[in-house]
Amino acid sequence: MTADDAPDVALRAEAIGYSYGDRVAAEDVTFDIASGEILGFLGPNGAGKSTTMKMLTGQLVPRTGVIDILGMRMPKQREEIQARIGVCFEEKNLYPSLTARENLKFFAQLFGVEGFGADALLERVGLKGRGGERVSGFSKGMQQRLMVGRALVNRPDVLFLDEPTDGLDPVSARAVRAIIKEEAERGAAVLLTTHDMHEADALSDRVAFINDGRILALDSPESLKLRHGRRAVKLRFRNGDAVEEEVVALDAAAGEQLRSLVSRDGLLTIHTEEATLEDVFVEFAGRRLE
Amino acid sequence: MSATRVWRLLAKDLRLGPRSPLVLWALVLPVALTLLLKGVFGGLLDPKPRLGFVHQPSYEVTRFDGLDGIEVTRVGTEDELMRLLRDGRLDAGVVVSEEFLRQLQAGEQPRLDLRISGASAGQNRGIIIAGLLGAVRELAGGGPDVEVDVVTIGEAGLPIDVRLLPLVVIMAVAIAGAMVPASSLVEEKERRTLQALFVSPASPAEVFLAKGLLGGLLAMAAGLVTLALNDAFGTQPAATVLGVAIGAVMMAEIGLLLGAWAPDTNTLFAAWKGGALLLLFPVVVFIWPDLPTWIARLGPTYYFLRPIYAVSVEQANLADVWLDLAVGVLICVALVPAVLAAGRWLERRLAEGRMGKPSAKSEAAAPA
Repeated sequence: MTADDAPDVALRAEAIGYSYGDRVAAEDVTFDIASGEILGFLGPNGAGKSTTMKMLTGQLVPRTGVIDILGMRMPKQREEIQARIGVCFEEKNLYPSLTARENLKFFAQLFGVEGFGADALLERVGLKGRGGERVSGFSKGMQQRLMVGRALVNRPDVLFLDEPTDGLDPVSARAVRAIIKEEAERGAAVLLTTHDMHEADALSDRVAFINDGRILALDSPESLKLRHGRRAVKLRFRNGDAVEEEVVALDAAAGEQLRSLVSRDGLLTIHTEEATLEDVFVEFAGRRLE
Repeated sequence: MSATRVWRLLAKDLRLGPRSPLVLWALVLPVALTLLLKGVFGGLLDPKPRLGFVHQPSYEVTRFDGLDGIEVTRVGTEDELMRLLRDGRLDAGVVVSEEFLRQLQAGEQPRLDLRISGASAGQNRGIIIAGLLGAVRELAGGGPDVEVDVVTIGEAGLPIDVRLLPLVVIMAVAIAGAMVPASSLVEEKERRTLQALFVSPASPAEVFLAKGLLGGLLAMAAGLVTLALNDAFGTQPAATVLGVAIGAVMMAEIGLLLGAWAPDTNTLFAAWKGGALLLLFPVVVFIWPDLPTWIARLGPTYYFLRPIYAVSVEQANLADVWLDLAVGVLICVALVPAVLAAGRWLERRLAEGRMGKPSAKSEAAAPA
């Protein structure tokens, strides 16, 4: 048994790739996710996030590379793998003519879940008391919460979440983030695709930057920021009625420059500044995450 | 392939079915079409074979008035009887002569001249002959067999409402069998729920099988209701039911192919308007029997319509139609790999984002 086959590696993608005709959507994508780990998948639209997720969930067959999930090979053991994963899509795709409870029960039945408690799950995603209502009457936020609930009907070992907090109000978004944390603590490996850098930073154990179909960087948010972000000290001074600002990059020459500034008259505040994931992404991709 | 999952998928579609106008239409269509044709071309609420007879008033022949399943009309003269037969207003007629009754009572073998309208259905002729012979034997107290001479009156050919039977059957079976699964697939594409199914343990084959079963069962029901309304099961109902079953399967398969291909509801209905002609054209040889049969043989639907028509109208039996039925079965079997390939093709197209754009209806389903 190799290190990659160790039991705590829930998902391993090795050099996977996919092309739409001549256009390469994903190329040589390699990463793994351990059980209980949250991996943030970050990239702009068209970067290859969705294509990668579709290969991992069995919707697309990779043209190159290997996917192992829970010790099984995708797509060869697709049915067995799909029985143990949960997928939350970015686009709403519930049955509007069915009630929330019927939607959950239907998918639980497809997964062969015995004794499924729809109401407990509805309560968990903040839809307590709404189980008997048709989804067609739900707001987009309610539908999104139900989508998250649907991804959990089989207590998945690997969870794929595509923009799970998209369209949610801040309170609901916080509740969904808490659920993601709980699922990871339960032992589920989570692949989280998001545009929200703060969300990725707050939730992810590691993040992968993907652009033009390739993974540009893969590490913990802290490590990426420390290694690739620009750290600085920001000092503010009063100059008459105006407030001036000086930013000193924390490099080799920073000590002398800081000493000089600190001794200047009118010093109001001193703040250290850390790079954000957005800054790091720009450094890697040469573009912002839009 | 899991039978349990197929059942779950089918149960979901059955639950959603009554909310679909197309499913309701598929169930109402056989009744509506039958009533329309019977109303326009006659025979509405009058499905019984019609027998007229001329008799000598001095003899008691009331036994003829109460023949089971036959509408009997006493006609004053032989000329009037011939006119009614020529006009197709009676299926058959007899003149009960004094000589016939005398021979019957004398225990001799009498001869009965049965005049058949050229426009009468074979099924009606059979019922009338059987009923008539039974009544004559009863009249003679179980006497000798009757010799029946059959004379056809008027131009040979079936009434138009009978010749339109294949059209009614194909409309009922095609709408239910093809359009219901096709529209169900397209709707799931538009709502993107197919993607959710395809990442569950349900395979495209299971999803397609469930939708095919939905269409097949509805088509079977619609086809059988149509035959029942038209009293067209024939002398061998098992053969007609088999024909309907083959038609239901074939239409369901065609519907799945259509549903896999059509990207949205508008395209589906546009394609149906044009493509339905390919399914319907074999009926022309039933409506206009002078047309060469090879034209109809080019269409797959011929191979279940012909057996149904032959058994229900022409009194054929299974041995007469087995070859057409076998070709129908072969077409159904040949379509299976195409349907499975369509399922995989559809899944890839959806995953590549090349299909399943939302309709205005599905977008509007979610209030802001």
